[in-house]
Amino acid sequence: MPKSAYPVDKPFDAIDHALIESFKAGSSEAIEKLVERYESRLFRFGLRMCGHQQDAEDIAQETFLSAFRHLDRFRQETPLKNWLFKIAARACFRRRRKKKGEPEREISIESLKENNGDYVIPDFSETPDESVIRNELKAVIDGAVRELPSKYRMVFNLRDIEGFSTEETAGIVGISEQLVKTRLHRARLFLRNKISAAYKEGDRKR
Amino acid sequence: MSECGRHFERISEYLDGELDQETLVEIERHLSECPRCGNCLESLKRTIALCRRLEDEEIPLDVQRRIKEKVLECLAEESH
Ligand SMILES: [Zn+2]
Repeated sequence: MPKSAYPVDKPFDAIDHALIESFKAGSSEAIEKLVERYESRLFRFGLRMCGHQQDAEDIAQETFLSAFRHLDRFRQETPLKNWLFKIAARACFRRRRKKKGEPEREISIESLKENNGDYVIPDFSETPDESVIRNELKAVIDGAVRELPSKYRMVFNLRDIEGFSTEETAGIVGISEQLVKTRLHRARLFLRNKISAAYKEGDRKR
Repeated sequence: MSECGRHFERISEYLDGELDQETLVEIERHLSECPRCGNCLESLKRTIALCRRLEDEEIPLDVQRRIKEKVLECLAEESH
């Protein structure tokens, strides 16, 4: 028996479905609409993965082109968004492999345990003013995310920023759910440690 | 593995609501008794919240336009 096409918490996206159908019927307006729906998300994802605006633009374009070339055979068993991110994720990894050949670093759990549990992450949940956080921490967080080995950064972006579930992320990256969980936990701890260290450092200077 | 170490490994799963009932009860008991693991949980929660809040920037309009134009252009060429 085929697996249910859409998980219960992911309702079938009627707009995507309609747009895909009109694309198949030859509508170029459907192409524009689909690009408009997903270009920001794919561009930002590419930017977080590669760190360069030009790369991010290329990744978004490549993703759409590849998607539209195969869309007539897309059976909508997964949501379009997941399929697009799968293509984009592959484009990011390809780009990385082209740039440098060295094997990727692993983050060991031991390396994350230093510091005896003493971490300081400021609590901004009561701070409605976005610019305060932005000024204080944007550069620190961006820097920390860039330092993550890319396969960890990939899982962190898909899970914590894009909001995909563990199961969906496993499908997009093509790894087991257990590996998604392990990489996500290490990525979060890594970021926590970096942000905490930078925050303490800043505090000492203030 | 020490008790802390064992729970430390699963704090993200706890945050994400992915633990089975038995492990959940166990980790909650430990968290209520162990300030160090409690601190770890809180700091991770804040880290995730911070990263999420800084991620809603719109992309520049000229980038949006370029992506759309390029895609349409390439597809038009291919269909000829
Ligand atoms: Zn503990």
